[in-house]
Amino acid sequence: MSTCILKGRNMKGTISLLIITLLVGFIALTGCSKKPSDKGDKSTKAKWTIGMSQCNLGEPWRVQMNADVKMAADKHPEIKVVYKDAQNDTLKQRSQMEEFISAGVNLIIISPKEAAPLTPVVAQAYQKGIPVIVLDRRVLGDQYTCFIGADNKKIGKAAGKWIVDKLGGKGKVVELMGLMTSTPGQDRHSGFRDGTKGSDLEIIFEADMKWLEPDSRKEMESALARFDKIDLVYAHNDPGAHGAYLAAQAAGREKNIIFVGIDALPQEGQAYVKQGILQASFEYPTGGKEAIELGLDILNGKKVEKEVTLSSRVFTKDNIDAGGEWLKE
Amino acid sequence: MTGICKSFSGVKVLSDVQFDLKAGEVHVLAGENGAGKSTLIKILAGVHTDYQGQISLNSQPVRFASIHEATAAGISVIHQELSLVPSMTIAENIFLGREKCRGLWLNKKEMTAEAGKLLAEIGLDVDVTRNLGSYPLSIQQMVEICKAIAFDCRIIVMDEPTSALTDVEVEKLFTIVDKLRKSGCGIIYISHKMEEIYRIADRITVLRDGEYVGTATAEELDRGKMVKWMVGRELNQQFPRHKSAPGQVRLKVSSFILPDPAGKPMPAVNDVSFSVRCGEILGIAGLQGSGNSELLNGIFGTYGSQAHGDFELDGQPYKPTTPANAISRGISLLTNDRKANGLVLGMNIIHNITLAALKKFSPFGWLQPNSETKTAAEQKEALNLKAASLKMSVDSLSGGNQQKVVMAKWIETEPKVFLLDEPTRGVDVGAKHEIYELMNKWTSNGLAIILITSEMPELLAMSDRIIVMHRGSITAEFDSEQATQEKILHAAMGIQTN
Amino acid sequence: MTKEKSSAKFAGFSAEHWFTSPTSRAFGALIIVFALGLLFNADGAFYKWGTHRDMLRAVSVYGILSCGMTLVIISGGIDLSVASILALTAVSFSLFTIHKGISTPIAILACLVIGALCGMFSGAVIARFRIQPFIATLAMMVFARGMAKWVSGGQKISTAVQQSDGTYKYVNVPQVFNFINSKVLGDNITVVTLIFVVCLIISWILLVKLRYGRYLYAIGGNEEAARLSGVPVGWTKILAYGMSGLFCAVAGICQAAQELQGDPEAGMAYELSAIAMVVIGGTSLQGGRGGIWLTLIGVLTIGYLEKILSINAVGEDKRLMLTAAIIIAAVLVQKGKK
Repeated sequence: MSTCILKGRNMKGTISLLIITLLVGFIALTGCSKKPSDKGDKSTKAKWTIGMSQCNLGEPWRVQMNADVKMAADKHPEIKVVYKDAQNDTLKQRSQMEEFISAGVNLIIISPKEAAPLTPVVAQAYQKGIPVIVLDRRVLGDQYTCFIGADNKKIGKAAGKWIVDKLGGKGKVVELMGLMTSTPGQDRHSGFRDGTKGSDLEIIFEADMKWLEPDSRKEMESALARFDKIDLVYAHNDPGAHGAYLAAQAAGREKNIIFVGIDALPQEGQAYVKQGILQASFEYPTGGKEAIELGLDILNGKKVEKEVTLSSRVFTKDNIDAGGEWLKE
Repeated sequence: MTGICKSFSGVKVLSDVQFDLKAGEVHVLAGENGAGKSTLIKILAGVHTDYQGQISLNSQPVRFASIHEATAAGISVIHQELSLVPSMTIAENIFLGREKCRGLWLNKKEMTAEAGKLLAEIGLDVDVTRNLGSYPLSIQQMVEICKAIAFDCRIIVMDEPTSALTDVEVEKLFTIVDKLRKSGCGIIYISHKMEEIYRIADRITVLRDGEYVGTATAEELDRGKMVKWMVGRELNQQFPRHKSAPGQVRLKVSSFILPDPAGKPMPAVNDVSFSVRCGEILGIAGLQGSGNSELLNGIFGTYGSQAHGDFELDGQPYKPTTPANAISRGISLLTNDRKANGLVLGMNIIHNITLAALKKFSPFGWLQPNSETKTAAEQKEALNLKAASLKMSVDSLSGGNQQKVVMAKWIETEPKVFLLDEPTRGVDVGAKHEIYELMNKWTSNGLAIILITSEMPELLAMSDRIIVMHRGSITAEFDSEQATQEKILHAAMGIQTN
Repeated sequence: MTKEKSSAKFAGFSAEHWFTSPTSRAFGALIIVFALGLLFNADGAFYKWGTHRDMLRAVSVYGILSCGMTLVIISGGIDLSVASILALTAVSFSLFTIHKGISTPIAILACLVIGALCGMFSGAVIARFRIQPFIATLAMMVFARGMAKWVSGGQKISTAVQQSDGTYKYVNVPQVFNFINSKVLGDNITVVTLIFVVCLIISWILLVKLRYGRYLYAIGGNEEAARLSGVPVGWTKILAYGMSGLFCAVAGICQAAQELQGDPEAGMAYELSAIAMVVIGGTSLQGGRGGIWLTLIGVLTIGYLEKILSINAVGEDKRLMLTAAIIIAAVLVQKGKK
């Protein structure tokens, strides 16, 4: 099998051939497909420059956030947005903020990786007169113009209430949780428990699937093995709900179980609802659009609220074509 | 030591062995591989704590529960397998385990100075702050010796201390031994080399198959008798060389130049030309740094295309590129360090024997374990390999048997030229004899052999022709009749003779 | 003579020998874990065949990665890039079949080639430039993950295809996904498990039946001795890493099929699980020893451990501590009577 036909000297040539084949073949086959579309580059007619500091673009939800910002900004030719991605590095995000400050942008939108390390630089910008909109994750103190974010506790509670309603007050529920060391996980859990308080719902199985679909599938398989009757699965995110669905489908029980997820990204949660995989998905809005709209208000001199809580929608088969249903506060 | 018995898992390794050592004497412990010498020494050194019998030190009965206790009692051992750390410096190695400290901090200065002094005493002039691994094996062995004598000891055990040393360094060692002897130290010396034994021994004790055979002074015990004690039979000729009529030129080397692998400016092999014929044994003599090992390795392709020169194999051009290429052309090399690069210690005997010629045993890449086992069994017979089972891993074999496995491996490649680098190093007398007989058989079949050996008598007896190397060049050429030890040594040291 | 006497006892089939062989030691750990399962059977869930079938399904992707890892570790190296190549091929396979509609056999072939090339590249760097396997495969790990994210645009490649106007069109899942995701032999075993078994058999043939396998063991045991015995060290290593990449591609295809999408973030930290499975099975990280059936035992041990913790709904924190404790126990059982 390994007859040494090519001798040592030809190794170099063969290596180069391997490298070239690898690169060329790969590019050819994938055909320069999707590129991150958010390299903002406007015409020079823009009146205002907005700096968008994103903590990472590894999560699809954050890619969506930037996409929402771009979509909203495209409608307003008087603003130009510059995007910076900190690749989940706190120090990098800090220096990128400092770059925005020294470039003298008119407004900053930041979704910080962590609160404490980025509070000083946000305050610095704010005190220099650059309005700062903090998006989705908080900083400490009050040295910023306004905070826009959704409330995971509220969403969890709304989900809980919806589930109680759907099941008529009683039933056997499996809860598949996101990373319980993260705030969203804890909030979506406590909100859910809050929303189901007082009902006859029985949480028969709960597990931490760390936001990951394969892990969620494994946990659901265990639940299916243990319990003959499961009425509903509440997963903290849509991939988790999807994984649970696949496990149920493999066991032939998917038609008897209701699946509920959170996030409702168009190509994910909403798609799953459209396809009948999920019965409900609760939107965790990115706030990208709202950030641009409020930003424009600020730049135009209007006064804005310090705390803006984004409202969320629930998507079900019934209302998906109508664009979901807004949750009442 | 009296009445010493030791068993491993029910197998008696030593039975009723006695041994005594006087202050200021060199007492040689002799015997074939597997006779029990190492085990006896390990009991004395505190390595084996589970044994029957009595040991008394200065008329006081002792029983060591650990190596530490033995060392504290003044017993120091130089092992055959070097117990050094290549990635540490010489100074660090010498003081390994006994570092000099000032409170919590290592006293590096003092240790470096001491190490330098110690080495100077034995005439070794090297930089003690360089890593040990960058020095050749002979220097490493001298450091091992240094380590053992660095601390006050009353008993020193030397187990094959000269196996990697050149003649010059061996003399240095004997000077140390003399000094120690005069200072009242008792020395237990294990060796296979006849000359050494008779050179330094006051008394000789022989063990055979774990049993005590006898003790005598060096004068009383002549070689023949000692060998008889060791093997239980008379060996008439220590070196049985049957010369064959040499045939055509098998390998011709012209203007061979090899740059130094360690990067030194002087080439390791400097414009060497020679040839060797079928059925001939060409001996290459040389001291440390003469380049003889590098010469063989260069021909074999170890250094790849760094070896420049013209080579002809049976009249066909040959270019050293890789070992695989050399093997396919019929050149095989038995290296001088079987554990480092001759054997795969984790594999069993069969797999080691078939490794270099595996293509023979695997048509289309598919292994044929039955034919491998059969071949290995045949080799076991032919080479008189002592092993309980062919499926044993080679690291449990004795040195001589390990060497036989390596030889079997190369025999399987059916070489035309056999390069042997120290083939009898660390091999007992009986096995050595067998190897010499093998060499005879091979040459009578037309094989050409190039032999490197640091044992002068072996070189003189077995070679048909001898070339001597010094610092990369050939300084002399002799026919076996003309050669004498003095002439060879002169040429090896680069001394001009008229 | 005396040394040989002591070895004679071991060479035969004495019971003592069997109990201390690596296979039986690895079995020991597996038996302990299995016993734990019988003990903590979660209201009888452990007795259902479905639970075991699901465990095999879940562990198959890891197992396929472990096959390649076994080859590489026996050769004395390590491959940290397995998870990233898995992600890259998962994304590529989804891209080819779902979005570009390339026929399944060609898509599979292309992905296998991608995986193999990545592996061979690592192997070439290790063999030719003498870079340590840890470093070289670490670099490939980062590179392949980056490629995966670039090719996918950071998003999961799923049946929701984004059109140029921002809306989504939904296509059907390709047949091959459903096939790999399905059960056969009367619903008793999943297709991915069968694929895992095929990979095991291929690895077995490579390691035990072919000359190539002997070369791998020799290089892992003593690379210099192997080289000086004429073993083609360079090519053997390149092939080992290439095979690892190939197995990663198979795993990536299975992963995509099971998720019904290609996720550029797939397989995070899978390489550590693969290494753990190989090591717990008894293959030494130093190389030159071990085998594929040992790896299988390691795969099952960890697979069962995770399943038992899962059906008993053990909290995440306790899970981590228990897993660590049992891994150490398993390794100690192995070191036992060396």
